[in-house]
Amino acid sequence: MIPVRCLSCGKPVSAFFEEYQNRVADGESKKDILDDLGLKRYCCRRMFITHVETWE
Amino acid sequence: MVLVDQEVKGVEGFNMEIEVREKNGDELVFIIRNAEVPFVNAIRRIAMMEVPKIAIDEVNVYVNDSAMFNEVLAHRLGLVPIMSDKETIEGLLDSDSTVSFTLQKSGPAIVYSGDLISSDSKIKPVYDTIPLLKLKEDENVELEAIARIGKGLDHAKWMPTTVCAYKQFPKITFNENMEVTKEIADACPRNILSFDKENKKITLGNLENCSMCKTCVRTSQSIANSVNSAINVDFIDDTFIFTIESDGSISPEEILLRSCDVLNQKTDKFITFFKGG
Repeated sequence: MIPVRCLSCGKPVSAFFEEYQNRVADGESKKDILDDLGLKRYCCRRMFITHVETWE
Repeated sequence: MVLVDQEVKGVEGFNMEIEVREKNGDELVFIIRNAEVPFVNAIRRIAMMEVPKIAIDEVNVYVNDSAMFNEVLAHRLGLVPIMSDKETIEGLLDSDSTVSFTLQKSGPAIVYSGDLISSDSKIKPVYDTIPLLKLKEDENVELEAIARIGKGLDHAKWMPTTVCAYKQFPKITFNENMEVTKEIADACPRNILSFDKENKKITLGNLENCSMCKTCVRTSQSIANSVNSAINVDFIDDTFIFTIESDGSISPEEILLRSCDVLNQKTDKFITFFKGG
């Protein structure tokens, strides 16, 4: 499961993660989605980009 | 008693100005002029650490068949931001009263923060889409979560801010005796400097974006091969760019107002003490 908040700054990023995953699956560019979701710091962006789901 | 501040700056010298630069959603950027570091820093520290807000503090787990440990689940619940603006938590501020949330769900499903049912209709999670745990076929979860008022001093879940920081306003000056080149302007990683070919001058863009990295200064020094630089980066002592970003539980303006209230209460204690209260 994705951590509830960004590990560095504490922004509650997990609230947008599902939307991010769905839009990535639709073929949208990751950069555009992250910009659109308002994740402008690289600490929050890496939470999404580097997340590996191990719980299936 | 004479205030040190007045001795240094004079009574007329202390006329702080505030200008809002940017306001979107949970973020507020403003400029403070004619202020001092200790004052601005006090506001920053109080905004992070001493503005009370509500967060889940105690979880009674009755059923948890999922692969997630109770402790991990309780920790995740604690980090879910809960609406804490003044109107909502007014009755809770001066007492030990609590708000309880119940959660009940059967698999297969993903449990979201929106599945938490609050005992108080106004106090609810800011986001309904935070995934808490996954349930497979025939797995159930049933718990009660108790939320309390707290301060950031005790745990980060009670911090109303994510980013709360200030920097001094950058000031870029040029050395008249030295020539500026295009390389100096191009060295800026934030594209604040642009080179004017005709006048052989550098024009400044939005200074608020300057990170004061001094790459331009180092470039100029290495071109001239000396310690002197054609460009100098400094800051204005009494002007600050202040950013407050909230986690959604309290609006950034309210965080600022409430941190001023807390500072007020603290200084009032000194006043009553020295007046013999």
